[in-house]
Amino acid sequence: MIGLGHYLVVSMALFSLGIMGVLTRKNAVNVLMGIELILNSANINLVAFSRFSSGNLNGQIFAIFVIVIAAAEAAVALAIVLSMYRLIKTVNLDQADKLKG
Amino acid sequence: MDMNILSVVIFYFFAALTIVSAGIVVFARSLIYSAFGLLFTFFGVAGLYVYLGADFLAATQMMIYVGGILILLLFGVMLTHKLYDLNLKSETFQFIPALLIALSVFVTLAGVAIRTTWHNHAQRLPNPTTAEIGQLFMRDYILPFEVASVLLLVALIGAAMLVRRKPQ
Amino acid sequence: MNPQIYQDLQKIYPEIAITAAFLITIIADLTAPRIRKIGTFTVTALGLGTAFFLSLPLFAVPGSTMFFGMVTLDPVAVFFKCFLIFSSLLVLFAAPGAREFKKVHLGEFYALLLGITLGMLLLASAADLLMLYLSLEMVSIGSYIMVGYLRNERESNEASLKYLLFGAVSTGSMLYGISLLFGLTGTTKVAEIRQFLAGGGASGDNSMMLLVATVLILAGFGFKTASVPFHFWCPDVYAGAPTPVTAFLSVAPKAAGFAALIRFFFSGLSDAGSTTSPWTPFAAVNWTILILLLSVVTMTFGNIAALRQENMKRLLAYSSIAHAGYILMGAVVLNAEGIQAILIYLITYLFMNLGAFFIVIEVFNQTGSFELRDYRGLYRRSPFMTIAMSIFMLSLMGIPPFAGFFGKLFVFAAAVNHNLAWFAVIGALNSVIAVYYYARVIKTMIIDEGEDRTRLPLSAVSTALVWLMLLPTTGLMLFWDRVQQLTRDSVRLFFGS
Repeated sequence: MIGLGHYLVVSMALFSLGIMGVLTRKNAVNVLMGIELILNSANINLVAFSRFSSGNLNGQIFAIFVIVIAAAEAAVALAIVLSMYRLIKTVNLDQADKLKG
Repeated sequence: MDMNILSVVIFYFFAALTIVSAGIVVFARSLIYSAFGLLFTFFGVAGLYVYLGADFLAATQMMIYVGGILILLLFGVMLTHKLYDLNLKSETFQFIPALLIALSVFVTLAGVAIRTTWHNHAQRLPNPTTAEIGQLFMRDYILPFEVASVLLLVALIGAAMLVRRKPQ
Repeated sequence: MNPQIYQDLQKIYPEIAITAAFLITIIADLTAPRIRKIGTFTVTALGLGTAFFLSLPLFAVPGSTMFFGMVTLDPVAVFFKCFLIFSSLLVLFAAPGAREFKKVHLGEFYALLLGITLGMLLLASAADLLMLYLSLEMVSIGSYIMVGYLRNERESNEASLKYLLFGAVSTGSMLYGISLLFGLTGTTKVAEIRQFLAGGGASGDNSMMLLVATVLILAGFGFKTASVPFHFWCPDVYAGAPTPVTAFLSVAPKAAGFAALIRFFFSGLSDAGSTTSPWTPFAAVNWTILILLLSVVTMTFGNIAALRQENMKRLLAYSSIAHAGYILMGAVVLNAEGIQAILIYLITYLFMNLGAFFIVIEVFNQTGSFELRDYRGLYRRSPFMTIAMSIFMLSLMGIPPFAGFFGKLFVFAAAVNHNLAWFAVIGALNSVIAVYYYARVIKTMIIDEGEDRTRLPLSAVSTALVWLMLLPTTGLMLFWDRVQQLTRDSVRLFFGS
């Protein structure tokens, strides 16, 4: 039978892959994809716990809000990325070096 | 028993789809492959939601993530490269350290999670959830519901303003 | 409709006022160009002012949770409401005069400011993890846009991209931690989490998972308050953003982040105490040690990194990182004294930090530079700015009799009174290190010779704002009793709920 643990493994794998994507990718849109993976992994957690650990729908409602927030964030992120492309004709994060750390 | 085995197989199918597609997102060399990998990841996650009895959420996931966010990301991919650069290769840096970090994160999480006894509660029987979610939005979650609409308006204004072409 | 909602609606008049102002500002922005500049500004100012005055009576309302446990209303929350609205008002007045905003339409800026303020108000009073995450993201997303407001400037755009990428990862990790906490406790309400933990829910192996979840959640708080090691975005974002936005970020969202941090850790992860006996973190996870480490690393790193900065915005960025470290000291002691110290520190920090930034804005308006070397000989060009800036620098150093001294005094005293004298010593040593870079600014302005000797004309608004920040910075000790009383009462009632 499929239990809570199975879902947790999937979500952990997604989270780790998301972290990996954020750390290694140079293209800004690619990093955004990694961020979406992280958010989805948390959502799987929420829904799985809602089913197995909490007996109510709070986790699912939380997940709906996370989807909403992710959409807003993605929209703003892409607006910024598009702005960047207009200014310097690339979205490679290496080229974002006007501000030295 | 047949149903049981079939359902387990389908779960593993969706789980594998999700994880492998996520791997494609992270490791593929071409940006387009990453975008389509993300598409299948979202699809796999929606399948898992159905498995967990979250029917409304699965539909929402498909509509908003695939129908909205992914389209947005694809636009982003397409609009931010020069026309002649068809390869859309995405380079990577610091591969080994990042791999080590990601692996250690995974191992730590898995190791700790194995020994955890999660909160126990009588499990919900699979039920259509839409009606109940609707009622919860109007009752317990009315404040976040309204606040989320303001959040969306803020994001809308901001995104539109950032991309506007009108000369200042 | 539930009658409870009617009652709750009466308690969130400030938030309603801000939302109404937000909507009206958007509509006002659609009018003719001549009236919309003044119109949007006026609506925003009126909205914030109304919200401020609507918050004041809320001090007398007994503590309660509203909207089915989503937000709480207690004096500490009301304190933060007033604090945050006031900061937004100040930045609102500084924005139109800023040179960076001269050619830019500010209608959306005002709307964003109102939206972020709404998010901050909710963040400071969130009692449910969903509300916490939602309001945190509202503040963050609004801030990303604000930082990138000058969309034709490369620095502004780059700053907003870095801010967004870093912020999204931090809040995403925080969300993962929240989901784990949800799995452990079966609930997202902070009060219920505390009940669960008090009942021994996280004993044995579960304490490890609780620790993992707490560390992940700390990522989100660390990001918002710019604490090490989640501070990487801070110098670049502060340097690249338009300076009024930088001034805003250095005070308001940071304070809101601290408010949420206090509420989460004190009300959620600590065993109930009273005003006399300190609270104790649950045996499962001694997060005070975590925060202590964070505090030490943050203040030390911030101060040391500020030593070699030549750009005023970066210098103030690292300085604000260091101050976040001092504020975290108050969170470690885990009792009424600690919270009171944090509140007092934040009040002093508001005035001295905004004052310093207002001067930086005005100097940029007149000279076009943020570099320290262009502050040389400022004394000859504008004695008023120089003396005011020197006072702010002295206050940031923590020199009596200026306000900053009192903030540090309370934080160090709280530590000493709880057998953490060595911690206070580290704080004091850090303050000594900080003297170097603050004093360097003063020396550059007064002693160094600049090339340009012309008088600097100052705008009336800037002068007024600087005076407004100067008076509390110098005169705080006169009203000392009132401030102490206010914060002590706020905190005492906080523990009642």
